[in-house]
Amino acid sequence: MKVILAIAAGLTAASAATAETVVTQWDQFAQSGISAAGPAMDELIATCQPSLGGATVLRTIAPSIGIRDSYRLAVSAGKTPDLAYTWPAASVLAGYARVGALAPLDDYYAQYGWDHINDFYRGRNSHDGHLYALPMEQDLMGVYYNKALFAEHGLAVPTTYDEFKAAAERFKEAGIIPVSFGNRDRWPATNTFSLILGLTAGLEAEKAVLFGDEPWTNPAFKQAAENFQAWANDGYFPRGFNGVGYDEANALFLSGKAAMTITGTWVLQDMIRGADSIDLGVFMLPPMADGVPAGTMWGEGSQWQLAASADPAVRDAAAAYLDCLTSDESRKVWVEKGHTVPIGTTPDELAAWGADPVVQKFFAAGLGTPDSNFYDLHTTLPESVTQVLYPELQRLVGGDATADEFLAAMQVAWETAIANGERWLP
Amino acid sequence: MSDRTAYLFLLPALVLYLAFVALPIAQVVGYSFFDWDNGIIGDYVGLSNFARLGGDNVFWAALGHNAIWVVLTLAFPLTAGLILSAILAERNRHVIRWLSAIYFIPRTIPLVVAGIIWGWIYNPIFGLLNYLLESVGLGGWGGAWLAQPDTALLSLNVVGAWTFFGFCVVIYLAAIQSIDPSLYEAAEIDGAGWGRKFRDITVPMLRNSTLFLGLYAAIEAMRFFDLVWVTTQGGPGYATEVLTTHVYKTFFLVGDFGYAATLSVVLLAIVLAISSISFFVLRAK
Repeated sequence: MKVILAIAAGLTAASAATAETVVTQWDQFAQSGISAAGPAMDELIATCQPSLGGATVLRTIAPSIGIRDSYRLAVSAGKTPDLAYTWPAASVLAGYARVGALAPLDDYYAQYGWDHINDFYRGRNSHDGHLYALPMEQDLMGVYYNKALFAEHGLAVPTTYDEFKAAAERFKEAGIIPVSFGNRDRWPATNTFSLILGLTAGLEAEKAVLFGDEPWTNPAFKQAAENFQAWANDGYFPRGFNGVGYDEANALFLSGKAAMTITGTWVLQDMIRGADSIDLGVFMLPPMADGVPAGTMWGEGSQWQLAASADPAVRDAAAAYLDCLTSDESRKVWVEKGHTVPIGTTPDELAAWGADPVVQKFFAAGLGTPDSNFYDLHTTLPESVTQVLYPELQRLVGGDATADEFLAAMQVAWETAIANGERWLP
Repeated sequence: MSDRTAYLFLLPALVLYLAFVALPIAQVVGYSFFDWDNGIIGDYVGLSNFARLGGDNVFWAALGHNAIWVVLTLAFPLTAGLILSAILAERNRHVIRWLSAIYFIPRTIPLVVAGIIWGWIYNPIFGLLNYLLESVGLGGWGGAWLAQPDTALLSLNVVGAWTFFGFCVVIYLAAIQSIDPSLYEAAEIDGAGWGRKFRDITVPMLRNSTLFLGLYAAIEAMRFFDLVWVTTQGGPGYATEVLTTHVYKTFFLVGDFGYAATLSVVLLAIVLAISSISFFVLRAK
């Protein structure tokens, strides 16, 4: 039924778009590194060309780190690309929706039946009751580990937080870095802390702060901050981690000098490619407080969004094209050629499509706890708060601020953002 | 040539100056009086963006770091350049030519590249500096140079000094070579040693060069950005935050163009003040 609707929609788009219609597209699908799904994008542009109804795609590839800055300048200059695949959703996306830079997609959601986007992701791509983006990549956070090092030291995959700490202590005693972590780029700590926060405070406690009136300075958040700081104080991380780059930390792990590294699925392809000298495994960090259910941080890698300034014919053509890019057939291409797992892809599909066992394991575990998976602070907080979170986390984990000082600074930034109307609500 | 013809010749440069210097500056000043949301201009807010400066701890920390950078730059590269050039001036022509070229090489390296090179040198895990310290039995002195608040700014300033001192050598060397040799000959006849000649002839005669380099260094110290951005991005915490990184984050990352413009106006005022001092002091000589 969905296929029939899509074809009909494509024909509708075809009646509006002409050979002169050009859809400008900005994306970040490079050939290597984060979002290294370039080969899949190349193939799918050709595959989905017919859905454009005669229009053509004029594509610009921007690095994933710089695309946000470029997009902001484009919006301010009134040159917003018709179709863009940028990050993050939630607060930043809502900011663009708030100033009228983005086109609402509610009608396209209804027209194409994008039901694979669940309520969590619909919320993260909404503002004021309307949908403004179509998320695609599924991001999860977990622990990459060196199976051989675990076996060598007689350690099993931790299933409790105490077992995790015991494993870390065992590696430390053996002179092996327990957790490879580099925070020179400032953002990695936000992911690590988001994971610790969710597993210490839980989803409901997060919601009470992010969407309610509970202050950051609550006991559960304090415990999470203390847990993170304790990892640093207890020597779980490499020396000078605040001066080590994210890529360097991953390289340290892949070289066998560290037993674990805690990061997301966005580097799965690089991890698998780089794991020539180690036996790579993944597991989910266990809950870190009593009564907190198992879960992980999840979010969309990025999301497709349409410019409000785009001509209606261009928007229609782009929406039909998006429907093709996220179709069941295309999801298989993203997995096989892009090493990217689109939202809505099931572990069974990953197995059927021959995804790497590490990919299958990661997603089977991460998607197995949908009700207790929690938010990524990095993409959920307004940018003004994120720019406080970055340095304050460096100070916290570096031992230059206490948990109380960290949370107090966050509370001040949070109250200012709320007063300025920057808070995102799903 | 009549005045009118002269003004006609000046006109192209004046138009370019107005279009690419005066107008953008006026635009930035104008932006600072408005509220901005994600790069979209909002209401006129008067001086309220400027009022935020008082409570912005990051701004004051950044301003302090810029000031420290000025002092450190005046203290080390200028002193090192002065002493080295004085020593070098007494060697033969070939030595002067080769060594001054070698000293000047770091100045030709873009600060972004210098930042990457020194980022590797300072790397806490596989950096050259820690390796060298360990190899001579001083491993205990090793550290995470750019990752510790107490060493980060100083370590970055070493990089800045490395890129700047060669420039000082070349400027001082040219100035020393223009000093009348009879002054040194007379001092030698009077029994003055190297140190005395340096203190009583070289240093006073290089006053103008020192003034120029000092003011130039002060202006550069307020403007630098790339070195910090590629190495620490202002971290750890706010330990290496400077005005330019604060402007960049506020503009590009937060999207608060109004406050970023305000910070830029303050930075511009400081640089213009230093430039004005330098202009009048150097003209007075």
